[in-house]
Amino acid sequence: MTPRLAVEKVGLAFGGVAALSGVSLTVAPGEIRGIIGPNGAGKTTLLNAICGIVPPTTGRVRLDGKDVTGLSPSAIAARGLRRTFQTSALFPGLTVLENVVTGLHTATRAGLLDCAFGSRRLREEEREAAARARRVLEFVGMAGFAERPAGALSFGQQRLVEIARALVSDPAVVLLDEPAVGLSLNRLADIDRLLRRIRDERGVTLLLIEHVIRLVMEVSDSITVLSSGTVIAEGTPDAVRQDPAVITAYLGTAVHA
Amino acid sequence: MLSGLTTGSIYALVALGIVLVYKATGTINFAHGDQLMIAGFLAYTLHVMLGLPYLVAMLGAVIGSFLLGALAERIGFRAVLRSNLINVVLATLGLSFVLKGVARLTWGGISDYLSFPPLVSPDPIMIGDLILLPQQLVVTAGALVVMGLFALFFRLTTIGRAMQATADNPKAARLVGIRVEHIHMLAFAVGAAVAGAGATLMAPLTLLYPDIGFTLFIKGFAAAVLGGLTSLPGALVGGLAIGIVEALAAGYIHSSFLEVSAFIAIMLTLVLRPRGLMGGPPPRRA
Amino acid sequence: MRQPVLLGLAGALALAVLPLVANPYLLFVGNQLAIFVILAVGLNLLVGYCGQLAFSHAALSGIGAYGTALLKVHLGLPFFLALPCGALLATAVGLAISYPALRLSGLYLSLATLAFAQFTLWVFMNWEAVTFGAGGFRVPAPSYPLIGAGLGTYYLSLALAVLLALAAASLVRSRLGRAMIAVRDGEVAAEALGINLLRTKAMAFGLSAFYAGVAGGLQALMLGYMAPESFDLFHMALMKAMIVVGGLGSIAGSVIGAGAVLFLLEGLRAFKGAQEIAFGSLLIAAVVFAPRGLAGALNRLPRWRESYLRRPARDAAP
Repeated sequence: MTPRLAVEKVGLAFGGVAALSGVSLTVAPGEIRGIIGPNGAGKTTLLNAICGIVPPTTGRVRLDGKDVTGLSPSAIAARGLRRTFQTSALFPGLTVLENVVTGLHTATRAGLLDCAFGSRRLREEEREAAARARRVLEFVGMAGFAERPAGALSFGQQRLVEIARALVSDPAVVLLDEPAVGLSLNRLADIDRLLRRIRDERGVTLLLIEHVIRLVMEVSDSITVLSSGTVIAEGTPDAVRQDPAVITAYLGTAVHA
Repeated sequence: MLSGLTTGSIYALVALGIVLVYKATGTINFAHGDQLMIAGFLAYTLHVMLGLPYLVAMLGAVIGSFLLGALAERIGFRAVLRSNLINVVLATLGLSFVLKGVARLTWGGISDYLSFPPLVSPDPIMIGDLILLPQQLVVTAGALVVMGLFALFFRLTTIGRAMQATADNPKAARLVGIRVEHIHMLAFAVGAAVAGAGATLMAPLTLLYPDIGFTLFIKGFAAAVLGGLTSLPGALVGGLAIGIVEALAAGYIHSSFLEVSAFIAIMLTLVLRPRGLMGGPPPRRA
Repeated sequence: MRQPVLLGLAGALALAVLPLVANPYLLFVGNQLAIFVILAVGLNLLVGYCGQLAFSHAALSGIGAYGTALLKVHLGLPFFLALPCGALLATAVGLAISYPALRLSGLYLSLATLAFAQFTLWVFMNWEAVTFGAGGFRVPAPSYPLIGAGLGTYYLSLALAVLLALAAASLVRSRLGRAMIAVRDGEVAAEALGINLLRTKAMAFGLSAFYAGVAGGLQALMLGYMAPESFDLFHMALMKAMIVVGGLGSIAGSVIGAGAVLFLLEGLRAFKGAQEIAFGSLLIAAVVFAPRGLAGALNRLPRWRESYLRRPARDAAP
């Protein structure tokens, strides 16, 4: 079976300093893949390389077998890849609903004249887009906040809306950059459940960076461990937990803590 | 060529102020040229109307623009610091028009051009085939002296070094106890003071009128952009380059090209090499 | 119907019957208001909605004005053809400069467009064979069926102002408007959602240039006289003041701001220095005390919102 997402020997250097070197991983359709590693291991850099924000200097990125390396972030997004950001990246000038509808930009077609003169096509498209957005807000449990300005939400609520915005276009792959950051421990179970529901009910493949080890270990089907820009281990959560290289590089400190 | 160097050295002084403010605060003071214009009128008032000696008038203009620069920081910058870049630019643009209006109301109507008496005899000196205007020599020398003093200030005084540190890394500067707000204000003020010196030097060569500020601002700006917007030596090189290019364009193409070469320089630099000749990478918005 | 649109239409209706009672001066002010509204709405699309601080709006409206007037003067093109051609010329120039300029961000964009604006003015002043130089030139009066030139231009401006303001209000509530706001609020996040940055910014730039061009063409028809200084930096600052006073990112605000600025401008007509002080202070005061403009205050009123999607849920249900 073609992997949904394939990262092949990706390398990335900033001014001579290698941030990633020879990183390879394949993610099967419907998988939740966790990415862990100590600070500065290159996790967010890897996400940026996959979604095209910082194109890799070497290697390829394939989405459903098709090479997307070097395409602009918007072109890669249009091919069915979405992501969330570590710090909330909602558009404060729009409401919650409008933010989520913006996730449908590539799924809507109304042109300049449609938009300027409020054509029937535009109105139908907008109605449909709003309905889809409301359904996905319902899915993440934020339906009651649709008309609020995005900036008025709490941090945790903003994360949920951002996830809804990433999901609304029914993408094949979503990259999540620390979805649990800033959440209290008793909300972790909610995130855990939400991630599983995204996979099971919406069939989305997830690539997840997370610092809360407990969450990654519980929710991931498999885990890739990065350290200093290279993959040092990969496998099921249990296998990774017992890998001596991982323990020295990363978990060692956590185990003693 | 030589007159290009003279105007170029004035542009370099304007550019120096722009770069200083940009380095310290990350914004452009659109009222910079108008502060310079006000300083020129101030010098005129002191020297011509009150009959004070030229150097005293210059000192007065420098002090006056120093204060005005501090005021500009307070109005145009600090009050809007917490909002976005657009607002900072618009506030300084607003200040620019206020100053222009004040000058128009105080020193005469729209078509009033004031002329500043020459410093030295206007007769040219001939050295072989070379024609030198003593006036230009004095101005160029004066500009170089001001730049030298400025460089010394930056290198040798505590305040100068604090400004350098703040520009390089505001967070670290705050940690070692530098009051960043004070540095911002000082950058505006010192930038304006340099412009004040420039205005007084330049006044005997040109006429004074309220719209001269913006004209000079654009030229200084072209110089700063050409030099890279973050480099003080770049401002100097950029200023001289713009002055020479203007003189050549006017001499070899047509006199009307004198005014436009600065705009073309800005556009070409920004499109072809946004970093300028000597600057670091352009800042990018996140 | 939403309140801003209702109030706007009521205002337009009042302006439509104004000629029945007004003297020529009031007619001129009404006409100027319509033109200012077009300018402010167009500039707000670019600056307020898309977040691109360009300084080329006055120059582009100058290109529309000169284009319209010169096509008539040199080629004898009738105004009903010359005006759209002038507007399209402004749009084309706007798009042409937007591609290099929009690769620059923030301040650098301001600088590049400022230089372009000054360059354009210089062309108006020095390309004397075509533009008649700094002294300007007379534009023949347009002729309209049934009514006189002044009245005709007045109604044409009014109709275009209403049409273009409504079109902008519709646009900013649509997918393209949201894309512009997304680019303004977060370029990286917008791109990650599939929004093409350069295309969106260029669209905003082109649209705003088109509005500027139409307004410039109307200005040429109304004044019957063209001179470079109508498109200088002072006029650029006036336009900036309109959208800041009215409210960045608000179409209703652009209309209100255009009115407020026109009122001050006419009140201080005789005193250039006082005008400059007034508008400079207005810009500063608006930025410092009311960064969201008059429309920001209005937005707090119930039932005063500018969005399709913010309507009650039953409208949006499938």
